Amino acid sequence: MTVIPEATLSVLPRADGSARYAHAGYTVTASVNGPIEAQRRDEHAFEAHVDVVVRPAAGTGGTRERHLESILESSLTQLILVKSFPRQLIQIVLQIETTPDNDYVNTKLVQASLNFPIVPSLLQAAVLGLISAAVPMRATATASVVAVVPQEETKRLVVDPSPRDLEQAQSVHVLAFTSYDELLLAESEGDFTVKEWDGVYEAALKICCRPTSTKAGINVMLDDSEDAAGSDMRQFLRSTVEAKVAADLYWK
Amino acid sequence: MATDTKSLYVLPGDAIDKSLVPRHKKQPLRLGPGLRHIPPSAIVPTTAGQLVVEPRKNSMWMEYNGGRYVPAQNDLVIGQVQRSAAELYLVNLAAHTASATLPQLAFEGATKKTRPQLAQGALVYARVVLANRHMDAELECVSAATGKAEGLGPLTGGMAFDVSLGLARRLLMARSRDEGGVEVLELLGAEGLAFETAVGRNGRVWVGSDSPKTIVLVGRALRETDEGRLDVEQQRKLVKRLVREMR
Repeated sequence: MTVIPEATLSVLPRADGSARYAHAGYTVTASVNGPIEAQRRDEHAFEAHVDVVVRPAAGTGGTRERHLESILESSLTQLILVKSFPRQLIQIVLQIETTPDNDYVNTKLVQASLNFPIVPSLLQAAVLGLISAAVPMRATATASVVAVVPQEETKRLVVDPSPRDLEQAQSVHVLAFTSYDELLLAESEGDFTVKEWDGVYEAALKICCRPTSTKAGINVMLDDSEDAAGSDMRQFLRSTVEAKVAADLYWK
Repeated sequence: MATDTKSLYVLPGDAIDKSLVPRHKKQPLRLGPGLRHIPPSAIVPTTAGQLVVEPRKNSMWMEYNGGRYVPAQNDLVIGQVQRSAAELYLVNLAAHTASATLPQLAFEGATKKTRPQLAQGALVYARVVLANRHMDAELECVSAATGKAEGLGPLTGGMAFDVSLGLARRLLMARSRDEGGVEVLELLGAEGLAFETAVGRNGRVWVGSDSPKTIVLVGRALRETDEGRLDVEQQRKLVKRLVREMR
């Protein structure tokens, strides 16, 4: 299931920055406020505190949302220049609007283990929201989720797996890379071998870090003939942000 | 004259070509907002925006319309007095941020016996003296060199409007029409409206006038210019429409 991602920046007029990101059936709206004053208990002497709140599509958050928050908080703290704002708070709220399958039946979470497929959408929405709020960052990030699905004798790597693929998958992995091609986040669940993980790593690296030569703003797609099945995350991020910057600087 | 870097939109963490960095024989390179120096020689953007290079002053900075004001030294800001502590006023520059301090004697002609009485909620036009990430910002309403106010001090009457940081920066430019693309205040003045304004770099514009209608009209013009992203021609039409509606 490869759907072209869509994103809009600055959708919420009262937040410092916001973004709406839709991909593979998930729609997430992120709002970013900061740097603002932190609560005494959250103050850190030399760094800003990054507070991520994930709100599900229906009902109030539970353990699943706390797990997602902890994953995202560690990644985003590495991206934001937290040392520039000691004792302050960067508040990121991620509201999940739609999911491809209805996880919730009678407001009770049915499949408690399916946390990972939404992480790339959450991370992308958060990164776009931070860019919209002009929070100083070290680099941008792109993420993708890969499932290892057994197929007859072999295993098949599925990028952006559908709920059907997830039911049959033996392991699910989510990986995120910074714009310097460094691994930012690697979470996995299920049974897998090291060799399988290497294959997953290569697949995610190809999706998230498709080489685009950027020399001071001029983009050149080096590999145009490569499969268009996987979306080029970085190019998408860049074009979305450039459209927003051009609109902001209309007066020039 | 800034180098023509019209299409130079960069994302945080992008590499900047060494040939774009200006060189000067005597002056050191000055980095403005949005850029970070990683020794020995890498200059990296920290926000998404347009890279602007000024070879004459040997400086480079990022142009973007950011969300929240972060105090920087020598900025002119409009603050709202929250409360007064010992010898200090605690002034709020933006919502949900720590207060800045304004000494009660940092006004023109203020001594221990005669100091201005600012009530809670009063507006002041001040300059940022100290802006350090580790400390609360400090303000002053008098020029330290000359001892004169030079336009700073309490703002009585009138009303303050919130604008985006980008528009506030453009209004504060010396040649706001040519370089900033904003002429709405001059146009309103040319239509015969009598008002005075103070623009704060923290996204607040104070408008004072004898007639409340004028204040509201100026505020509306500013908000529509900001939200509608109007260029100079559209601003002209907007001003004509608003003045016609008023009369």
